[in-house]
Amino acid sequence: MTADAPPVVVVDESQDSAPPPSGVRVWLSRHPLAAYAIRRVGLYFVELWGALTIAFFFFRLIPGDPIQTLIQTLQQNYMYNQQASTELIARYQQEFGLTGNLFSQYLKYMEKLVLHGDLGPSLINYPTPAQDVILRALPWTIGLLGISAVLAWIFGVILGAIAGWRRGKLGSAIATNLSIALSHVPYFFVALILVYIFAYSLGVLPARSAYDSNITPGLSLEFIGSVLKYGLLPGLSIVIIGTFSWILSTRMLMVPVLGEDYLVYAEAKGLKGWRILTRYALRNCYLPQITAFGISLGFIFNGNVLVEQLFNYPGLGTTLVTAIQQLDFNTILGVTNIAIFSVLTAVLLLDLLLPLLDPRVKYWK
Amino acid sequence: MTMRILTAVVRTIRNSRRLAAGLIILGVMVLLALFSPLIVNAIGNGKDPIEVAAYEKWLVPGPGHLLGTDQFGRDVFAMVMKALSVSLQIGAIAGIISTVVGVIVAFVAGYKGGWIDGILSTFTGILLVIPTFPLLIALSAYAKNVTLFQVGVMISIFAWPFAAKTIRSQVLSLRTRPYVDLARVSKARDLEIIVTELLPNLLPFIGVGFASSALGAIFGLVGLEVIGLGPGGVVDLGQIIYNAITTGALTLGAWPMFVVPIVLLTLLFAALNMVNIGLEEVYNPRLRGVAGE
Repeated sequence: MTADAPPVVVVDESQDSAPPPSGVRVWLSRHPLAAYAIRRVGLYFVELWGALTIAFFFFRLIPGDPIQTLIQTLQQNYMYNQQASTELIARYQQEFGLTGNLFSQYLKYMEKLVLHGDLGPSLINYPTPAQDVILRALPWTIGLLGISAVLAWIFGVILGAIAGWRRGKLGSAIATNLSIALSHVPYFFVALILVYIFAYSLGVLPARSAYDSNITPGLSLEFIGSVLKYGLLPGLSIVIIGTFSWILSTRMLMVPVLGEDYLVYAEAKGLKGWRILTRYALRNCYLPQITAFGISLGFIFNGNVLVEQLFNYPGLGTTLVTAIQQLDFNTILGVTNIAIFSVLTAVLLLDLLLPLLDPRVKYWK
Repeated sequence: MTMRILTAVVRTIRNSRRLAAGLIILGVMVLLALFSPLIVNAIGNGKDPIEVAAYEKWLVPGPGHLLGTDQFGRDVFAMVMKALSVSLQIGAIAGIISTVVGVIVAFVAGYKGGWIDGILSTFTGILLVIPTFPLLIALSAYAKNVTLFQVGVMISIFAWPFAAKTIRSQVLSLRTRPYVDLARVSKARDLEIIVTELLPNLLPFIGVGFASSALGAIFGLVGLEVIGLGPGGVVDLGQIIYNAITTGALTLGAWPMFVVPIVLLTLLFAALNMVNIGLEEVYNPRLRGVAGE
């Protein structure tokens, strides 16, 4: 996108002679980094708005009546026998933001979301607001997904760099071919095999839940140990497959760098191989991987839904699946919005930070 | 013309062992899928081996039943063969639809440029970053008793941006080539240039687009099925894995029920990925040898 975008900053050639007509444009041309940042942040808001809007209309246009489902649940749970009165239905519709036409529903939803951070009441846990349901699940997902994704990235970049460095050797060829074969396998498959081996055949690790239910949650060593033990299998499945896909892409970035003149120079200076690898070669190819990490978060979230579901892990993925089964629109939309928001924000932050990490990155050409 | 394309294809395959390996695995799977009715018949020996209570429940793998039977006494090997064929069909249908949509969007955006490109690329970009799985789950929750083709269409809604992105960047680099300028100077119409000048040069990348969207589609459907939220009436390999989990095949040690589908799907994903990387290596000389020896 950035590669072929028309140059926004036009160098004002009449700077010295006549006073410029517009102060903003001159200021932007003198501060190219700020101009870039403004354009990038603008794009962020366009993307965020677009994605949230697509998600909203997508879920509203799908058939299914959440109010009828709620009434049914009430009837089942509270022996609510008589037919729901029209007044009651109208009240619930009001509360769930289902009155008026689609467009006014959209405006109301966006207003509540943007101004108050309110996602509306959740159906599965009525009357708890959807944001509370999501916030309860969020730490589990961030803990499981965040740690596994970062670990996979670190392992993958290091192993990929070594695989590129030692290209032509047997070990490197094995690692590369394994990565090609396994980088697109769902995490879920690995998780299932791991569960079968470690939970059912050997019986050494738990297959379900996030912590031992006999331990009360809190900041005790016992609880943390239990969380780690229960998180080991789901985390491991994400780390294994994630590492393979990062190995492949890092190796692809690494190999062209190895032919560069400055590496020959470093070798001629008599530097040790390890130092050349870490200080000369790797430093030139880990930056694109940082951006790629931000983009990959969305895909990891997709895969994580299945893993959480398999392990019955109390995170966002499980919440999402339950919400969909119960037609809980506000929670479904909320989870989707959180995922959209985190991916776009991560990419934005990385894009803005990249010029600071790498002086060669110039967006304002 | 056909001969020329054929020789070009053969030469391409000869040039890349990886591409050849991927295509061979895919070919074997397609053959298995094509002959799956025959295989199923042979297993059944006159009766339907996938019928409920066709055999005893939970038979262990043996000469009569290579992979044993499931909780309803159905032959697992026959079920897996049939499901493999369904998974491949989904991949083919969704792959073709996504590739066609992706090619059209990529050409309009890349060739026309300007604000059209801006809008289309931003839209594609948005679809690429939205975690599509929630949307897919929601869509399939309402798709009960749909045909295989409808499921393919449903999944391609989310698979086309990948194809569009790959092809667009190639269109961008091709459209400024001298031979395209020459065609334009000689007053060829846009459509003519696209069909006769650009399309033939893009075939390998269209192949990449097809392989990656087919992979995404199979992946997506398997994902839906394994959490039991797949569209009704479609039994693919994911559905068999789901059955294995819910019926307790893991605790009973009936490993063929989930290990075999997983191995087959892993092979399929590996083959598609090998085709992808092989094609890119052959046609993108800068990558040659980069992705591995």
